[in-house]
Amino acid sequence: MFGPSGSGKSTFLRTLNALETIDSGRIMVDGVSVSDPGADLNKLRSEVGMVFQLFNLFQHRTALDNVVLPQIVVRRRPRSEALRRARDLLEKVGISDRAGHYPSQLSGGQQQRVAIARALAMDPKVMLFDEPTSALDPESVTGILDLMKDLAAEGMTMAVVTHEMGFAREIADRMLFMDGGLIVEDGSPQQIFQTPRQERTKEFLRQIL
Amino acid sequence: MQHYFDVIAAILPFLWAGFVQTFWVSLVAIAAGSVLGFLIGVARSQRIPLLHQLFGLYIHILRGTPFLVQLYVFYFVLPNTGIEALQWSSETAAFVSLSVYTSSYVAEIVMAAIDTVPAGQWEAATALGLKRLPILGLVVLPQALKLTVPPMSGVYVNIIKNTAILSVIGISELTRQGEISIMRFPSDVLFIYGVIALVYFVYCYPVLRFTRWAERKVGGTRVVNLD
Repeated sequence: MFGPSGSGKSTFLRTLNALETIDSGRIMVDGVSVSDPGADLNKLRSEVGMVFQLFNLFQHRTALDNVVLPQIVVRRRPRSEALRRARDLLEKVGISDRAGHYPSQLSGGQQQRVAIARALAMDPKVMLFDEPTSALDPESVTGILDLMKDLAAEGMTMAVVTHEMGFAREIADRMLFMDGGLIVEDGSPQQIFQTPRQERTKEFLRQIL
Repeated sequence: MQHYFDVIAAILPFLWAGFVQTFWVSLVAIAAGSVLGFLIGVARSQRIPLLHQLFGLYIHILRGTPFLVQLYVFYFVLPNTGIEALQWSSETAAFVSLSVYTSSYVAEIVMAAIDTVPAGQWEAATALGLKRLPILGLVVLPQALKLTVPPMSGVYVNIIKNTAILSVIGISELTRQGEISIMRFPSDVLFIYGVIALVYFVYCYPVLRFTRWAERKVGGTRVVNLD
């Protein structure tokens, strides 16, 4: 998803795991109607990983503990198993040497790596990324995008709000252009970049490319 | 000089008894008031309709009226209502009123601290599938409680000093004992009050120092060696 700020990209993304409620319509995630009053939202959320712009790591826990805690509380894994999994994931995201650090002692890029590991620890079926690189320095951006490319290559289903058009073009199967709270254009990266149908899309792409 | 030593020697047992009473009352009020205030603060932070407003009324009435007036209500008014459970002694009235008074301040501090924890912490935990209570207990409260340490010390010192007001309902705490001593040595008013003030200071100052220390202790982040 891409589009100007205030266009509703993040809000849309956040409705997918019911962090925002919807007024009308229906949202289906893995066969479950999210807006259904009887929906087990905690179960749904535990299967939908989310990565935030400002990382939102638990500030009072070390990097390792951030990845361990939800496994124990939500997945009810034994501590030893959660620890093993956490160490593996921190290794995978390339931050195992910082496992004992608190979030405040990590750079933005390092924090985002931990946040991705934390989301992966729940074995999500789909992952939501809300502008995961917008708060990072240029050098860290590349690292996080590479990590996300790896995830995509492994077959992870991902919904990403981003301004990184090169990245989107490379890995997206489908792109949504949003403006004024509406999905203005919906198509493959190829179609969106080469033959945008809507005037608004053309104008926006002209401004940012 | 010898005169002052004689006065001290004569009043010391009374001041000591007064200090013990002051210490005891303040300790109970701080402990009971903190527990009660903590529960109210946490409940209020959840913004449950009606409950939030109800506790808000409780807090604002207590904070918006002088403690002396509250003490009179607890000591004179409530026992006269004819309700069996409220037929309490002056000491119980003192404990209860000071605890309730303390709880109103603690509740506001606890709620403010919970509100200060960034919304992103709630969101991240919610998005991971944690339920409300585990989020509160494992994510929000541990961070919020650190923030309560500095303002809490101010409240505690205030409670200690407010125990002096209890002398008006005949609790023989430090100030009351001092007044009794002054009746015995009327010419040494200034000196005796000076000694009393010093005792209060000696009690309060470590409380302030302790919280300063605790603040550093809980606020500091250090790398945990995991191996």
